[in-house]
Amino acid sequence: MRGPTQILPTDRADEMLINMGPQHPATHGVLKVVIGLEGERVTRAVPHIGFLHRNHEKIEEARTYPQIITYTDRMDYVSGLQNELPFILAVEDLLGVEVPDRAKYLRVIFFELYRLASHLVWLGTGMLDFGAITPFLYTFRDRERILEIVEKTAGARMLPNYFTFGGVRRDVHPDFFKDVADFLDFFEKRLPDYYALVLDSPVFQARAVGVGVLPKERAIARGASGPVLRASGVAYDVRKAEPYDAYPEIEFEVPVREEGDVYARFWVRFKEMEESIKIIRQAIEKTPKVGPYKGKVPARMKVKGSRYRAVEISRGHLGAHVVGDGTDRPYRIKHRSPSFANLQLIPDLLVGARFADAIAILSSLDPVFGEVDR
Amino acid sequence: MSRMPLPLDRHIKPKLVGYDPTRPRPGVERLAYTLFFGSLWALVVVAYGLVPALFRSQGWLDGALGFFFYAVIEALLAFGIAAVVALILIVVLRKYLGKVQERVGPMHYGPAGVLQTVFDALKLLGKEDFAPANVDPLIFRLAPAITFVSAFLMLVAVPVAGGWVMADLNVGLLFIVAASTLGAYGVVLGGLAQGGKWGMLGAFRAGAQLVSYEVPLALALLAVGVYSGSLRLSDIVEHQQGLWHVVPMFIPFLVYLVASIAELKSTPFDLPEAESELIGGFNTEYSGMSFAFFFLAEFVELFLLPALVVVLFFGGWHGPLFGLDPASFAAQALQSFYFLVKTAVWVWIFMWIRATLPRFRDDQLMDLAWKGLLPLALFGLILAAFLRMFVEVV
Amino acid sequence: MSLLAEVWEAVRAIGQGMAAVNRRVGESAVTEFYPYQKPEIPPVSVQFLALIQNEDGSDRCVSCLACERACPSQVITIERKRNPAGKGFVLERFDLDFVNCMHCANCVEVCPVSAIVTVGDFEHAVYDVNMLKADKAFLDEIGRRAQVWYSPKFGVEIRKPDGSIEKAPPEMQPGGLAELLAGEEGA
Ligand code: SF4
Ligand code: SF4
Repeated sequence: MRGPTQILPTDRADEMLINMGPQHPATHGVLKVVIGLEGERVTRAVPHIGFLHRNHEKIEEARTYPQIITYTDRMDYVSGLQNELPFILAVEDLLGVEVPDRAKYLRVIFFELYRLASHLVWLGTGMLDFGAITPFLYTFRDRERILEIVEKTAGARMLPNYFTFGGVRRDVHPDFFKDVADFLDFFEKRLPDYYALVLDSPVFQARAVGVGVLPKERAIARGASGPVLRASGVAYDVRKAEPYDAYPEIEFEVPVREEGDVYARFWVRFKEMEESIKIIRQAIEKTPKVGPYKGKVPARMKVKGSRYRAVEISRGHLGAHVVGDGTDRPYRIKHRSPSFANLQLIPDLLVGARFADAIAILSSLDPVFGEVDR
Repeated sequence: MSRMPLPLDRHIKPKLVGYDPTRPRPGVERLAYTLFFGSLWALVVVAYGLVPALFRSQGWLDGALGFFFYAVIEALLAFGIAAVVALILIVVLRKYLGKVQERVGPMHYGPAGVLQTVFDALKLLGKEDFAPANVDPLIFRLAPAITFVSAFLMLVAVPVAGGWVMADLNVGLLFIVAASTLGAYGVVLGGLAQGGKWGMLGAFRAGAQLVSYEVPLALALLAVGVYSGSLRLSDIVEHQQGLWHVVPMFIPFLVYLVASIAELKSTPFDLPEAESELIGGFNTEYSGMSFAFFFLAEFVELFLLPALVVVLFFGGWHGPLFGLDPASFAAQALQSFYFLVKTAVWVWIFMWIRATLPRFRDDQLMDLAWKGLLPLALFGLILAAFLRMFVEVV
Repeated sequence: MSLLAEVWEAVRAIGQGMAAVNRRVGESAVTEFYPYQKPEIPPVSVQFLALIQNEDGSDRCVSCLACERACPSQVITIERKRNPAGKGFVLERFDLDFVNCMHCANCVEVCPVSAIVTVGDFEHAVYDVNMLKADKAFLDEIGRRAQVWYSPKFGVEIRKPDGSIEKAPPEMQPGGLAELLAGEEGA
């Protein structure tokens, strides 16, 4: 029997097999897709993953709980901080740790800042796939400002290791709230430019509308989540479905679009950026001015029981299942990562599309390989 | 276990070479661009004005030997113009892209980076001209040359001022179409000869693109020919004495603009290259000087296609002469200045489009060309015929 | 007619995009010229690790092994011996393998005396990975030349020109907000 990722060359003269990746500029990392081409039309698409596999879950099982937080960062390195949360929430639940209000709001602010940063990276590299270089440099400049704000408080930019059990590791920098508010004002002025360069651009619309349509049923069946799912008309957002931290107290909308094409996925992410701005503004207002930033955590962590918690990171539903056996190391950790599930859509979406569409569809799925391969 | 050596300051301190690369120098840049433009103008004046005038006044053109020398000198000068244009445009494009992208562009070679292309060219000269194992060696080497020569040929037919043209062909328009099509041959052959799949896809796309943009492009040119009653480029420019063609010939102008961007293979029509899809497409396997020739051809075209826009639709060399006799040398020099300025504006617009737009898909380009531009061009052609009739009757 | 409207709409949208691009021309560039201009790094930034010595030149480290245990990538190796004069232990060997260090600062967080700290000293790219295996002398040297460093226990500390060590004002502290506010309330 053939393995699931094996692909055999045919003797059909009109089909050409082409290895896209793992060093192809449009695969955003180390994805390899073996594509069968008939002229410009894709006849087969088989994704090969595992080039970045580093035994994440097994390594984590050999570490103590505080050490694991460092590793979770490394999954979706584009939105680093967000990955810490599901694991932390699960362990907090198991330990019964109370998180102070201030910490909850701070977590929300950082969480949404990273959503902005991640969507900016996606937008820039996505437009690079579409052949436009200029938005890439604009988005990375804006992202740089977010990372600078984070670095001032958390000490690192991409993988800050800032959340911890019971809250956050340290209070924020004196300028933090001012910096964030300044950035939001600045970013709101930038957004119309992005609309003009991307969503409203007729060339982009010609490339994106009606391309790579993902029907609702198929999206649900494949376990897609995040913007990919919401662009197919399912209003599922973990922030609303199982709210965590301070999200219950914050008003925001979940942008949904029915079409399920590349344009819809771009649109949903654009609207999410706007929602993030709203969320951060509210959170800044509601954060208690003084107060503890970290709850009481037992010095020796003996975790017993099993718990699954999920959060909505930039790419979708990220979950962590923690099973503790009463020692200071987990018995088992399982991460449920959104990009991995979204990547299963590749054969569905790519077959039948044109080669240039394949690139557009890949960039609209926005996979990050640290998280796919783990 | 080896230890880290002390002292710690291992990193190399950068040496400054007479100027500070970190300082933006708008003054120096402006001066450099002025010098670039001036040197190009001077070269044009020498190549189109002084040398022919000298040969003619001495009567050397009558003898076969004299004519031979004339041809050789002119060819060298034309090559010089092409090289200078490419050298200038590469650094200008990079600086311009830097400006709009909130970067600084090249800054390290020459004050404010204005000598960047010189060093680029030296680097490309010094690189190994590598050919992979399964290429077709002859065609692989020939393709860049074909592309470059085609761009170079177009230069010959472009009139820069009244009476200043290297070859005043009476079928100038046809010659332009023929020469530009030749360039696409280089791209197709180069893509196919390298024996890689990306190159092959690039070649397919280049071929598909060629057949789609070339038809409306030729029809738009034809409309201009019909309206001005001549295929000779200098006649077409003369015909725009009162009114630039862009007003009566607006539809062919639009068609030509889109088609020439497609011919230039810059965004939004850079399908054969498509570095994010085909990893460079037809030039994936090229390196060293072979690659440089593709590159050079691209930038010569980036000058010539806007120049043709100017010649065909924006009055070519026409401009206020301040009472100078149009046949005098000074007036002609001034005219060539006008021509270059107009061309520079159009080069800027082409660069601007390149900086803004994402890429079309191959079938969309064909859609656009066959279903959009072709009917439009035909309509423009009919309109041109009617206008011509109207002008002749009145 | 609708076709014309569509075409006009497309041209207008392209024009908007081009205007958005052109608006950037006047704005100043954000490029930093790295080797000529050093980036400004906040004091809390985890660029490198260092061992800090007291003002009198003795080690702050009390050889408690907490950092060795906390390190997720297990790159710290400590050997200690009983202090011949007095109580406690002294370090015999403190090796830190920067090749595998993740710069997570877990070690800094657990240190009870702020002996191991994060510094903003980032120019440590080398040609040979073996050169990134640091020993105590090296970490001490980085600590000696550091002017500003951070550890969660003591916050940001600065070395004064006369060699004395002092805690930085709350404006420089990463977690200084609460402190500032508390100070305001007290005043
Ligand atoms: S920073 Fe992290 S990985 Fe590096 S030595 Fe400290 S604890 Fe270990
Ligand atoms: S935790 Fe601090 S005091 Fe303890 S061994 Fe490490 S550096 Fe020394």
